[in-house]
Amino acid sequence: MSAADDERAVDRVLQGDLSAFEEIVRRWQGPIVNMAYRFCHDRGRAEEMAQEAFVKAFRGLAKWRREAAFSTWLFALAANLYRTEIRRIPPRTVGLDEIAEPADPRGTEPDLEDREQRRLVQRALRTLPPKYRDALVLFYFHGMDIVTAAQSLRLPEGTMKTRLSRGRDMLRRKLFHAPR
Amino acid sequence: MHRDDLDRFLRDDDIVPSSGFVAHVMDAVHAEAAAPPAIPFPWARALPGIVATAAAFVALIAGFVSLAIEGPASAATTTTNLANDTIVAWLVVVLLLCTVPVAVSLRFTRTLVNDD
Repeated sequence: MSAADDERAVDRVLQGDLSAFEEIVRRWQGPIVNMAYRFCHDRGRAEEMAQEAFVKAFRGLAKWRREAAFSTWLFALAANLYRTEIRRIPPRTVGLDEIAEPADPRGTEPDLEDREQRRLVQRALRTLPPKYRDALVLFYFHGMDIVTAAQSLRLPEGTMKTRLSRGRDMLRRKLFHAPR
Repeated sequence: MHRDDLDRFLRDDDIVPSSGFVAHVMDAVHAEAAAPPAIPFPWARALPGIVATAAAFVALIAGFVSLAIEGPASAATTTTNLANDTIVAWLVVVLLLCTVPVAVSLRFTRTLVNDD
């Protein structure tokens, strides 16, 4: 399915063919659920937020002005919704000093160590101020593409770069200078 | 943790949607499509009330400004004059302001009942 297919599906939905919206959901469910998951790190909540994003997209389909790709519009809509949701009910955040480190990392399985470190990074990310956290989440979600991430946040590229740089610095400080 | 790992951990963090996700979304979409459209705000009906409120507000501010300009020496005289000349007008304005929303809501309710 290409961008032109998206456009045709949207046209069909606007003419009243709801089955065309199912094509859109099938195509974009992965990215939309994953974007939500990166904000909340809770599978159930991610799917609920993604469902709300699709319903909101369905409701506002006529407002898509076709200046940008459908996916750009959909990602911006979803990102906006997720940021609002996360501000409304923040995910549970644990302080870095509360996170249990493996007693002897050399003695653990590489996979286990990897998983622990991943969890540590995710928790540190959630402790950042929202504007830096959102910039980092969307930057990595979009495969480290600044232009697309900036479009999703509806921010100028320069602002996005500044937020990313500050966000990364804050994250590194938290991770590499966290109390042990 | 190596610093390069940071990018890796943040980049590769994906899940696969559950098998029933599309069906759940489509149920919600069908419910949304079946729901009656939202009732738009009745601007045409509310406009007279809004204009009357704005006019009353402007008149009130103008009254305060004129009091401030005339100064404290003439305040007592001005107050007496205001009491004599405009109190009836203000009463009428207030009564009208109270009547308008009641009348509009009654009319709106009647329209809704008739539409049903």
